[in-house]
Amino acid sequence: MNYMPGTASLIQDIDKKHLVLLRDGRTLIGYLRSIDQFANLVLHQTVERIHVGRKYGDIPRGIFVVRGENVVLLGEIDLERESDTPLQQVSIEEILEEQRVELQAKQESEKLKAKALKERGLSVPRADTLDEY
Amino acid sequence: QSLEDCPLDEDEDAFQALGEEDEDIDQFNDDTFGAGAVDDDWQEAHERLAELEDKGVPGRDADGPMENDGDVLGDPEDALAERLTRLVIDSELEDPAIMQAVHTSGHAQPGALNSSIWDSSAVLRRIRGPLLAQEMPSVSVLDYALPQRPPQAREEERDPSERVLPRRSSSPIIGSPPVRAVPIGTPPKQAAIPNFNQQILCPKPVHIRAPLQQRYPAPYGERMSPNQLCNVPNSSLLGHPFPHSVSPVLTHLQRAQLLGGAQVQPLPAGRMSPSQFARVSGLVGSPLPSVNPKLLQGRVGQMMPPAGGFRAFFGAPPPSQLPHPPGPGSHLQSLRPQMFRPDTTHLHPQHRRLLHQRQQQNRSQHRSLNGSGGDRGGHRSSHQEQIRKDPYANLMLQREKDWVSKIQMMQLQSTDPYLDDYYYQNYFQKLEKLAAAEEVHGDGPKKERTKLITPQVAKLEHTYKPVQFEGSLGKLTVSSVNNPRKMIDAVVTSRSEDDETKEKQVRDKRRQTLVTIEKTYSLLLDVEDYERRYLLSLEGERPALMGERKQKICDMYDNLRGKAPGQDRLSDDHFMQIMCIRKGKRLVARIVPFLAPEQAADVLMATARNLPFLIKKDAQDEVLPCLLRPFSHVLYHLPLGTVTSLVQQLTNLPQSAAAPTNPHLTAVLQNKFGLSLLYLVLSRGEELQSSDTNAELIHDNQWTELMLMATRELLRIPQGALAKPVSIPSNLISLFSRYVDQQKLNLLETKL
Repeated sequence: MNYMPGTASLIQDIDKKHLVLLRDGRTLIGYLRSIDQFANLVLHQTVERIHVGRKYGDIPRGIFVVRGENVVLLGEIDLERESDTPLQQVSIEEILEEQRVELQAKQESEKLKAKALKERGLSVPRADTLDEY
Repeated sequence: QSLEDCPLDEDEDAFQALGEEDEDIDQFNDDTFGAGAVDDDWQEAHERLAELEDKGVPGRDADGPMENDGDVLGDPEDALAERLTRLVIDSELEDPAIMQAVHTSGHAQPGALNSSIWDSSAVLRRIRGPLLAQEMPSVSVLDYALPQRPPQAREEERDPSERVLPRRSSSPIIGSPPVRAVPIGTPPKQAAIPNFNQQILCPKPVHIRAPLQQRYPAPYGERMSPNQLCNVPNSSLLGHPFPHSVSPVLTHLQRAQLLGGAQVQPLPAGRMSPSQFARVSGLVGSPLPSVNPKLLQGRVGQMMPPAGGFRAFFGAPPPSQLPHPPGPGSHLQSLRPQMFRPDTTHLHPQHRRLLHQRQQQNRSQHRSLNGSGGDRGGHRSSHQEQIRKDPYANLMLQREKDWVSKIQMMQLQSTDPYLDDYYYQNYFQKLEKLAAAEEVHGDGPKKERTKLITPQVAKLEHTYKPVQFEGSLGKLTVSSVNNPRKMIDAVVTSRSEDDETKEKQVRDKRRQTLVTIEKTYSLLLDVEDYERRYLLSLEGERPALMGERKQKICDMYDNLRGKAPGQDRLSDDHFMQIMCIRKGKRLVARIVPFLAPEQAADVLMATARNLPFLIKKDAQDEVLPCLLRPFSHVLYHLPLGTVTSLVQQLTNLPQSAAAPTNPHLTAVLQNKFGLSLLYLVLSRGEELQSSDTNAELIHDNQWTELMLMATRELLRIPQGALAKPVSIPSNLISLFSRYVDQQKLNLLETKL
């Protein structure tokens, strides 16, 4: 029963398996053990899942304490349907390799783009420089 | 009396007491004990305490020296506190920001086991004199935020050298009072069940202890475990010089709790090892017949240390409930409704019932918990056993969950829900309407929908007065969120008219107009809101509300027209200023529906009179058409005379014969708004003509003449110059048909 109908609260989610997306892009999956009023989370038996294309790899991480402000979203995982995924699980080494490759490809395409723009006299301000202002 | 002096006095008191015990100390040695030792000479103070310790260790009995020492050490702080009390004018440290900051800073390592606890009997020394007689300050603000204080605070006191420092620097008034409370972010370590339920049901920022007095004969199961006892807020275990000025309260409940807690512990005196302590908790079942205050102190003191570190042994709150499950349980249950009733009256019955159920559930869970360390989630209520057993479940205790939801509930408190959470309120109103509609139509079973009812707190105006000392010059420089430091004393100097240039004057005038518009807007928003307030209010209040509303409408009108007392409103100037500004036009459009017919007509006239000017000014904004709808509503109520004069104004007819052109009319006709307005007015006139056959002759003539002239003008103007009106009223043709012949009528038709 919802303790407080009409409100959103993580209390009902405790001790359930969750998928948490963090601001830095990491995806954590773990059992939500504890919360507080800032939505700081304590995740138990946490696994960091890296997705590249259709593949994913899990890195076991243990216990995570996540500061609430860094959470983008989180959702409960239905244990029965958890394995119902079209994605393919691979080993950690493989997924890390895939990730590296993907990152490299992305960087190269960014470089090409920047070069093309430069040739046309335009420049895209980099995200980190924007922060200064 | 400055603060510098206090420790001096303290020291003297302390050392006179010491002197009684040990003749070797030279009481008159100024360097050691007198003025020379005053300024923060912590080394000396430390040595003194070490001496005490040395004396204390051999063959110490729980009672005598302990009490003495307690007095010795407790009293100076008391004395200091008392002195400070007298000094402080505004005794209540009302600024929650300071208080919380204070309590947040640097509390010692929670749960860390300081071996000195066991090595020295410093623990015992901390115990104050008469336990109950002593009034400990209770902080109402803290009650609001947290029900109780944690054990961590106690651990600070055990380190003697650490203890010495705060004496001077931790004046509770200035800046940083000693930390004795849990930081606002952490949940209380123990179940403040009675207190807490109170709060979750009716969180309010006032003392809520009074209703709890009925729980004074607390059942055995309700007595707090060692954990909990340490956290009783006004426990006199606190050795800090918190000023008594902060509302000292030690209610029946707390005394009961203290006593109850004390009774939980068996009698062994002296130091206890951790393992002993764990065993002690096991022995919890034996109730103690007598409560000797001194023994109580000893007990309480010994109970302090494990609060942090030994939580694992205790598991969830009172394992002490184990030996007597049915007893306290039933007692609890019988007490529950009692506790509920006064405070949950505002809750939905479903909500209350569910809370009740939940508590019973929890109680049954707690009861079934064994005292062993790690296994917290071993037993669950029957329906939950279907779920796979998760050994790590319930790491977050129910009381912690309750604590979080309590905070969430507190955040929902509001003095004006419509102001704070407009969209939520509206959304739920809509839902309810839907549900009500469904129930009316459908025959289905009425679903009892649980509704979250948030307590509405009365608006309390707390004017924060910064702390002051009697007889001191100037104020303290403590600043906080609620009392920010004043950076600059800015003084407003108004400039004289002569100095300003014309441009500045113009600018200022515009600014003043903008200010007027803003003021009128807030009036308007209030007026628009009255309907809702009317529905929500009681019968008796309604006339007052209506009166207020009327007054505000008048004010708005005055603002629009430029109220000047005793002056005939000859000039449209003020109104024109407002109308030149886009926001002003929209404002007028929204106000007009609320105005009385004469006032609205007045506005309309003013607009018509100055229409070319307005049109010119509106060229960029093109906001004038927004006025059409309210104006058309106004027109429906106007009598013919007014309409006639309106047409006159609009068309600027009759004109003197010499004028070849009618720029006024031209401008009007060439503007969308102007033309549409003209049509509206004409159509209204026509309506009146056709409906009322007994129209007054005078007006009839005027009207006819006007129409003749108007049609002549209309004919004159080339079609291309005419603007596209918003809408063409249907009866215009019939209007014109009265005054012109067929040929011209056709011409007109094509033009239109």
